[in-house]
Amino acid sequence: MADNLPSTSPRLPLAGIRIADFSWFGAGPIATKLLADHGAEVIRFESQTHLDGLRIAQPVPDAKVGNLNCSGYYNNFNSSKLSLFLNLSKPPSREVIWRLVKVSDVVVENFSPRVMEGWGLSYEEARKVRPDIIWVDQPMQGLRGPHKYYAGFGATITPLGGMAYLMGFPGRPPLGTGTNYTDYVINPGHLAISVLGALRYRRRTGQGQHIEMSQFESSVSILETAILEHTANGRIPERLGNRLPYAAPHGLYRCRGEERVVTYLSERGPAPEPKAERWVAIAVFTDAEWRGLGAALGDPAWARDERFATLAGRKAHEDELDRHLEGWTRQRPAEEALFTLQAHGVAAGVVQDAEDTLRHDPQLRARGYYVRLNHPEAGQTAYDGPPFQMSRTPGSLRRHAPLLGEHTEYVCKELLGYTDDEVAQLIVDGVLE
Amino acid sequence: MEQALRPSTGSGSAGQDKATLLGDVRVLDLADAKGVYCAKLLADLGADVVRVEPPGGDPLRNLPPFYHDQPHPERSLYWFHFNTNKRGITLDLERADGRALFRRLVQRADVLVETFPPGHLAARGLGYDALAELNPRLIVTSITGFGQWGPYKDFKASDITSLAMSGVLTLAGLPEDPPNRLWGSQAYHMGSVQAAVGTLMALYERELSGLGQQVDVSLQEAASMAQETAMQQFDIKGVIRRRVGGRRAFPASGIYECADGHVFLSIIAGYGATWDDMLSWMASEGKEGDLLEPQWQEVIAVVNDFRSLMALAVDAKKLAERLRQFQHVDQLVEAFLRPQTKQGLYDAAQSRRIMLVPISSPADLLASEQLAALEFFHQVAHAELGATLTYPGGPYHFSATPWRIRQRAPLIGEHNDEVFCQELGLSHQELSLLKAAGAI
Repeated sequence: MADNLPSTSPRLPLAGIRIADFSWFGAGPIATKLLADHGAEVIRFESQTHLDGLRIAQPVPDAKVGNLNCSGYYNNFNSSKLSLFLNLSKPPSREVIWRLVKVSDVVVENFSPRVMEGWGLSYEEARKVRPDIIWVDQPMQGLRGPHKYYAGFGATITPLGGMAYLMGFPGRPPLGTGTNYTDYVINPGHLAISVLGALRYRRRTGQGQHIEMSQFESSVSILETAILEHTANGRIPERLGNRLPYAAPHGLYRCRGEERVVTYLSERGPAPEPKAERWVAIAVFTDAEWRGLGAALGDPAWARDERFATLAGRKAHEDELDRHLEGWTRQRPAEEALFTLQAHGVAAGVVQDAEDTLRHDPQLRARGYYVRLNHPEAGQTAYDGPPFQMSRTPGSLRRHAPLLGEHTEYVCKELLGYTDDEVAQLIVDGVLE
Repeated sequence: MEQALRPSTGSGSAGQDKATLLGDVRVLDLADAKGVYCAKLLADLGADVVRVEPPGGDPLRNLPPFYHDQPHPERSLYWFHFNTNKRGITLDLERADGRALFRRLVQRADVLVETFPPGHLAARGLGYDALAELNPRLIVTSITGFGQWGPYKDFKASDITSLAMSGVLTLAGLPEDPPNRLWGSQAYHMGSVQAAVGTLMALYERELSGLGQQVDVSLQEAASMAQETAMQQFDIKGVIRRRVGGRRAFPASGIYECADGHVFLSIIAGYGATWDDMLSWMASEGKEGDLLEPQWQEVIAVVNDFRSLMALAVDAKKLAERLRQFQHVDQLVEAFLRPQTKQGLYDAAQSRRIMLVPISSPADLLASEQLAALEFFHQVAHAELGATLTYPGGPYHFSATPWRIRQRAPLIGEHNDEVFCQELGLSHQELSLLKAAGAI
């Protein structure tokens, strides 16, 4: 048994499940990270000739620029996985693939349909070697339709899928989330749901199936009531900024800044600045919460104004309300506002940055959400832990992200039954690179 | 468009129809806005989800928008959207007789989804340990702002405060404005998606062990991954990411205005189309300016190379030297895009493999040829409204167990008889007495 494998435990909920993972970048690998961190054996196909772009993306430690094993972006999404070198442009790679599919439960891929068709890889082919395989395609726009070959990536799906249009302040242009939003939780989560449901279904019926999960549909499906508001009422929702029609006050309020200097990554590169800009989010839905807010602020005269006593009144005078409230938050650090408001039953949250969440947040620290793992080349870095805690069979990050091609020999020999000579030949032929 | 709409049976009970993924799974849905989407995800995959409302109706029924803008508990589009395929009963868990009936439902259930503050159900004798004694196979999925334990477990949370605490909100917005909330309760969506993953993992594991468990979801943790690289940027480089708006420092990366709205354009060196493709597109309409002149060749070479851009991204001084050049390139791109329509730009760009997409409004999505071809939208009959409404579909297509909307969201107490009499075996007289007492 090789000594570079993720630790195993029969208590992990997905122990014994093997996933052949053709996905790359974010939306696919994050889904398989969820499964790997809960016990599935996930084998990533990678090639030096067709690198996962995240392996060369920032952040990489300054001393390691150019090292393909040190991207924090890649490593975070690939904990507990194995990496197999495979150059799909070499025809003998097909046999490696079909041998692996034969001993796998699930195949996940998120290439363009054009690429998959070119390689001759599909559910129909896979079921010939493994009739009960669960095969998931996660293309941008689906395997069918006039736009199936359209180019895209995470950054194009948030605008195309409708989220960017709806975000922003009233009367201002659309904004977007500042990230490739649906790549990180929504698309991977939907993919993991489909795989887990299909695994259970297969266990009960013996039947595998084909799942088509376009990132476009996944992204449109989470627009809350925006579609129904249009189809039922013929209206397009307005951009609301940080407000909600059924809550007031509801928004972000500026707090007292810190004098301490930190380094921000600005659009012009890293820049040292005082951490002067601090915000607290406050959300008041009910009149009881409103009275709690008044008590938290020490019962000021303006908060006793009859005009603010009801939600309708607070909505009608929301600008004035917000000015009064910000007068209070401006005078104190965001954390103090948080504790004072929470002590009076008001939902509040600091607009935390990564320094706050990773280094200081007492809740995340107590629960051990972030996990530090030692990596032979990247050193010790932080990873996102499991996003839910199972009481009896908890997940765990079983190993750091794999080095590029690290498990090629193990997979070929132990799982696929190639002899030493055959592996050597595959290497000479450039198949395993 | 028409051929994309699928008929639905609309109202009535969820029949045992064609194969569904989770047709054998029974779910009790006690969730508020934090978890209502988790139970929808399960219901839309075929699970029998029974939504338990307090007598008189669920507070979520009061949330806007309303059908034809008429506020009414049976007209909330919010309620319609998040409760497709669920059945509905009323039951008062603040009363002993209500709790007794609830325990009987728990004995028959596979999953309970709940979002109460930690300890709330336990104080009523309905905590995980008590319910597991009744039904050791039960999976209890609990979604709260901060999870079931830890120093902040009793803090109140809403969508915006959870986005804030997770580190996601600090990344969204323009520098000159406050950070900007993601639209449409995204912390609740992320929490619900992660909760559904955990629930299905527990259901799969139960096939082997025969035992249930509790799945503890913190909205703060569930959304954390959506910080993109911010956590690693701080961990590895010691730099803090914050909002930079819709545009980045590099040319042709971000949101641009056009004749009828906005488009998003991104030329990333090393992926898909290059600057050569972009310049040839601009030149085909005589809008390339001076960018094909020799003095710009070096700049185009820089923006065409992924590694040089990555190096610039972490070197403020070198980037600053480039900014005027980049702005010149970007102004020409802006002038090229502005007079054209989003659909025209989308088709023309894609024919050149250039990553440009429209900033789609809901109307654009309804008109999308691609979503029509994927049969994304579904028609759902609302007999009470005398209307059939077009709903968004699901995120996935299963070959053996199709995703479907089998029925609209339940009316208040619509399935009381079905659940309490036909399934739990109460007589109609007992049901009437419980109703009169206010338990149902």
